[in-house]
Amino acid sequence: MKDNKLRLKRLVYYADDLQKIDKLMEEFLKLSNAKCIFLIDKEGHMISNKGLVQQINGDTLSALVAGSFAATKEMARLLGESEFSVMFHQGSRDHIHISIIGDRAISATIFDEKTTVGMINLYSKELSVKLEKIFDIAIRRVNQEQQVEADYSESVKDKLNDLFKE
Amino acid sequence: MQINYARREISCKMVFYGPGMSGKTTNLEVIHQKVPDENKGEMTSIATEGDRTLFFDFLPLDLGKVRGMTTKFQLYTVPGQIYYASTRKLVLQGADGVIFVADSGAGKIEDNIESLKDLTNNLAEYGIEITEVPLVIQWNKRDLPNALPVAELEKKINTVGASTIEAVAATGEGVMATLKLAASLVLDRLNTPEESATAAPAAPKKEEEAPAPKKEVFVAKVGADAISRTFFLQYCQLQYRLASKEAEVEDFKKFKKEEYLKFLDSLINYSLLLQDAKKRAIKPPMDKISVQIEGFKKKFGTPQELADYLAKRRLSLDALKNEATKNEIINIMIQEVLPNINEMMKITDKEISDFYNANKAKFNNKSLDEIKPNLANLIKGAKKRKALEEFYGKLRGQAEIEIFEDKL
Repeated sequence: MKDNKLRLKRLVYYADDLQKIDKLMEEFLKLSNAKCIFLIDKEGHMISNKGLVQQINGDTLSALVAGSFAATKEMARLLGESEFSVMFHQGSRDHIHISIIGDRAISATIFDEKTTVGMINLYSKELSVKLEKIFDIAIRRVNQEQQVEADYSESVKDKLNDLFKE
Repeated sequence: MQINYARREISCKMVFYGPGMSGKTTNLEVIHQKVPDENKGEMTSIATEGDRTLFFDFLPLDLGKVRGMTTKFQLYTVPGQIYYASTRKLVLQGADGVIFVADSGAGKIEDNIESLKDLTNNLAEYGIEITEVPLVIQWNKRDLPNALPVAELEKKINTVGASTIEAVAATGEGVMATLKLAASLVLDRLNTPEESATAAPAAPKKEEEAPAPKKEVFVAKVGADAISRTFFLQYCQLQYRLASKEAEVEDFKKFKKEEYLKFLDSLINYSLLLQDAKKRAIKPPMDKISVQIEGFKKKFGTPQELADYLAKRRLSLDALKNEATKNEIINIMIQEVLPNINEMMKITDKEISDFYNANKAKFNNKSLDEIKPNLANLIKGAKKRKALEEFYGKLRGQAEIEIFEDKL
């Protein structure tokens, strides 16, 4: 099983789990009065988002959040910490609050003057605990009923020829 | 790789690796230029003024829907300069495929080898062997006048047996072919099932959830510490099992409320004692405790006899060790707070005879001489308990203690 390690790294999110996650994120937005929230895995892929996300490029934001989280982890290491669990960037209008969820995911909340960093901090801590539980269950599932269709990748490969032209 | 059935997306991470100035960012720029608008996001570059990549360049690609699932490729480059080693490692985390951009220049052989070694090491730190990851080596800058022959590059650099492809990234030649090759290697991985379906245990039913963590219930608060109900009940059972003269004990003994209160009282005392010991930087003498436990084990002929004894009494060696630790701590603390304890423990004949006369009726008319040694021990024990009680009283006077009787 030479591919085992790589396969273990693959994280699968099912609709049922995401429904629960989305509901929690919606609740969080209501309570905290934040503009929107992105849920990102540590490798930089977006898991889900909620709120006023239309104007934000989620893929790039996810990559940058995961990257900057990873960089602060190095900072933490220099201080003898394993990681910093919360990061906050203040802008003139919008701010971003980044918080880790267990050891797989990160949440990034964008908010403005309608609320305070304290409120965001408070509710995102609660959210983290709840999400971590859902992730724990999701990760422990082993044999999935749902698989990517066997010839799916072959179909995607056909597309590569169209899109990746010299 | 993330497979998201809710968003109906498959998201793969591809990392462009290679020595400084080999053309990684150029590769990304060409891809950005050539991919149709609707299939690409913005290219983000975290670079220094001298256009060296500082952290990474990022380009999200969207291959669109195939049978209802969207495939995305997130392309990253790493900074090539040697001193950005830790950044390279960070970007590599979770990579589903790697494109190694090698410089074909005659003077760059060492740089390429060094960088490939760096890639090998960084992957190893994530527990991945370089031969396990989908890897394409791009022989870039084929247009250089001093470019080494591909055969030589293959021999000197491609020691890992990766797929290779020639390119001139500056003019865009070979860039898309490299990406296509790497992408299809990554996509091949999709077909390998997540786990072998037969060996894996049955999927948990949907209604099966992880048990909600029980909210901790506390029976008492002792200064800064709180005694949880679970811990308290374990303590009660242990005390009962240790004191029990029965050869077999009940699984879970129920006590009357007064008994529970008595146990709680002694547990609070012990908590206070531990807190005080901590303040005095007193630690349990683990070596002494180990000797005690070893001595206990030796009383049994075989390990099976020991196991049977413990099983019948529902005890474990750990529990015994905890109890021994408790007793040792109490002994040390007595010496600490009652420096004259040894004096106190010298029992005079007068004390014994006084005690005998006062309690004569209880001794079934046995003569004083007959029970003298026992009496001495009794008196010692009583004195020690009294001294300890006084000490506990003092500690209790200084600490805030709250008992939640309704939680017992």
